[in-house]
Amino acid sequence: MSYFAFLSEHGTTMLLGSVTTVKVLICATILYVIISIIFGLMRISKNPIIQGVATVYIEFFRGTSLLVQLFWFYYVLPFFGISLEAFTAGVVAIGMNFGAYGAEIVRGGILAVPKGQWEGAFALNFTPAKRMRKIIIPQIFPIILPPAANLTVELLKATALVALVTVVDLTFEAKQINAITWLSAQCFGTALLIYYIISRFFLVPFLRWLEVIAARKVGKEKI
Amino acid sequence: MNRFYKSIAVFLVILFSISSVNAATLTDRLKDGHKLRLGFGTAVPWAYAGDNGEALGFVNMIALTVLEEMGITEHETKVFEWSGLIPGINADRSDMVTGGMYILKSRCANMNFSDPIGVFGDAMLVPKGNPKNINNYADVISTGAKLVTGAGFNTVEAAKRYGVPESQMMLVEGEVGILAAMKAGRADVAVQTFFGAKEHEEKTGGAFEVTDPKLMPKETLNVVGIGFRKTDVEFRDNFNKALAKVMANPAKMLERAGEYGYDKAQLPPPEMSTEWACSTK
Amino acid sequence: MNAEWRWDFAIEILPQMLLATLNTILAAGIGYAIAAIIGLLFLLGQRTPIKIINMINREIVEFIRSTPLLIQLFFVYFVLPQFGITLSAWVCGMITIGLHFGTYLSEVYRGALEGVPKTQWEACRALNFSTFYTYRKIVLPQAFPIAIPGMGNYLVGIFKDTPLLSTIGVAELFHAATAVGGYHYRYLEPYTIVGLIFLMLSIPAAIWIRKIEKNVNLSQGKIKKEQI
Repeated sequence: MSYFAFLSEHGTTMLLGSVTTVKVLICATILYVIISIIFGLMRISKNPIIQGVATVYIEFFRGTSLLVQLFWFYYVLPFFGISLEAFTAGVVAIGMNFGAYGAEIVRGGILAVPKGQWEGAFALNFTPAKRMRKIIIPQIFPIILPPAANLTVELLKATALVALVTVVDLTFEAKQINAITWLSAQCFGTALLIYYIISRFFLVPFLRWLEVIAARKVGKEKI
Repeated sequence: MNRFYKSIAVFLVILFSISSVNAATLTDRLKDGHKLRLGFGTAVPWAYAGDNGEALGFVNMIALTVLEEMGITEHETKVFEWSGLIPGINADRSDMVTGGMYILKSRCANMNFSDPIGVFGDAMLVPKGNPKNINNYADVISTGAKLVTGAGFNTVEAAKRYGVPESQMMLVEGEVGILAAMKAGRADVAVQTFFGAKEHEEKTGGAFEVTDPKLMPKETLNVVGIGFRKTDVEFRDNFNKALAKVMANPAKMLERAGEYGYDKAQLPPPEMSTEWACSTK
Repeated sequence: MNAEWRWDFAIEILPQMLLATLNTILAAGIGYAIAAIIGLLFLLGQRTPIKIINMINREIVEFIRSTPLLIQLFFVYFVLPQFGITLSAWVCGMITIGLHFGTYLSEVYRGALEGVPKTQWEACRALNFSTFYTYRKIVLPQAFPIAIPGMGNYLVGIFKDTPLLSTIGVAELFHAATAVGGYHYRYLEPYTIVGLIFLMLSIPAAIWIRKIEKNVNLSQGKIKKEQI
């Protein structure tokens, strides 16, 4: 079977799978950003309990493998009364795992803001909330966006794992087509190509655009 | 910091509100308009999914015929790795296992089975011409050949029972893994269902051949049932009633399942009941 | 499968799981060694003065880095035999992990080399040192400590990605859990034990790497003892 014939027969299926992959990517990214901010802030809290909780969370999720967490969420969690749909379980597992890595980036970003900025805001009698919003956060973005962008590309790749817990994404479709047609080179090759295209021509340019915006906001780059 | 605590609280509430505890039985849930979820793996021609996730294979055909008899026409499909089927139904990931599972003692302890839908045997898959002359487990042991089979397959238990040492065994994911291992020469011989082996022989254009199932030990003949959660006894009983009706007048079922190679020879004899298989197999 | 944790079952399968852990460690070690070497090859491809090679090298690295390891594993495992190259699941897994993480390690190497101040290179040229001597005595000793954290992180990274090998049938820890879970139809204990074993191995590894990092920095005079 020629590659063209393969595409005309299975192309639609793989594209539909890709839509699910993009959905997982978007949902998991939103979740991981929220978790990163919360636990990143908790990590620099002066309260030892809050800081302890964050440290345990981060070490736990970074210390075990994502695949193990995913299977645990999917097959074991229902016995504790929490039964997530396969899609949700996948998004939550990926989001919580990457949130642990993201929290460290956020923490690093906050600490990288020069001390003088904190002191200046303090001297101006800003409330803590205003200090964060007006002074610190705008300066954090240019620092954390590049590592966060790398992490998000890693997240796109990690979405492939949800195929192993019955989510019908691109990887799942590739496996399925392989099982029935045995055209391994075509189906896995196409899947690799689609991931590459999503990453190289959509995700990465978008993240770079965010970086440029963030840099402009604090006047680090001329327009 | 107050807002911060609030946001955490909100987050936790959101996180746990998307979860739900499913205590209702299947019968109740179907009444509430939930779709029945069929769980199976990728095992051609037993049960597998088509391009749009539709249920194919003869076990699915039989199950669907019975469900229609019960008046249930809507369903969705969940495709698992073979080893995830029983944990999957117990974790409430599916409602029925239509993968084509043999009724075995160890499985009966974890899942309820319907009455048998057919009787089947295992066979070995070997390279064309059977160069090592392997026809059963005893031959595997004496030739020292590498034996491949699927994780969670009944054949793992059987091979162990007949004394195949673990060092000679290779466990892969499902039928796909088996054929991949054979094609790549990673194993010398595969043991699987006769149907599965037959399918592989055809798919490879005769590069592999199926050994005579009569040369396998007689005890490896098994009956297949549809799996249900232990808590769904009522639904299982209703299913059995409808199944009995279908089996009494099997023409329609045989036509649908026959497309995948199932024929009259597979109809289960009355002495091989689910109770019998659960206690002896 | 019941909800309760069964200690007798957990204890029964524990020896099997620990044995499989050895395979996981072995896989991580071998995979890392291959990745370290492949990383050097990619670095070489990047630093050769021939433009076309740089370009091809960059595209290959970019492609490998932006596609999932899982599908790469499937690709190598299922496709190579079609071209008559038959490798065991182990070899397939090691090659794929080596290639995948080799691209990351080449970045670590590059960063480390670029971290050595330009003036050091210029001084070497002024002193008329040979390239080999410059690398061995001046550049590498300074680049090494810069590379340590990154190299350490990817060692832990590879370790945590070894469960993916189970999908092609490499008998490591996760595969053992799936097999034993599939045999007894209980996943609660096997997967929980896998998680605990991973925690028990990766946290000390992370602490150990941080310590080495500090020691190397100390021996290089980058930080003073009081700072630790």
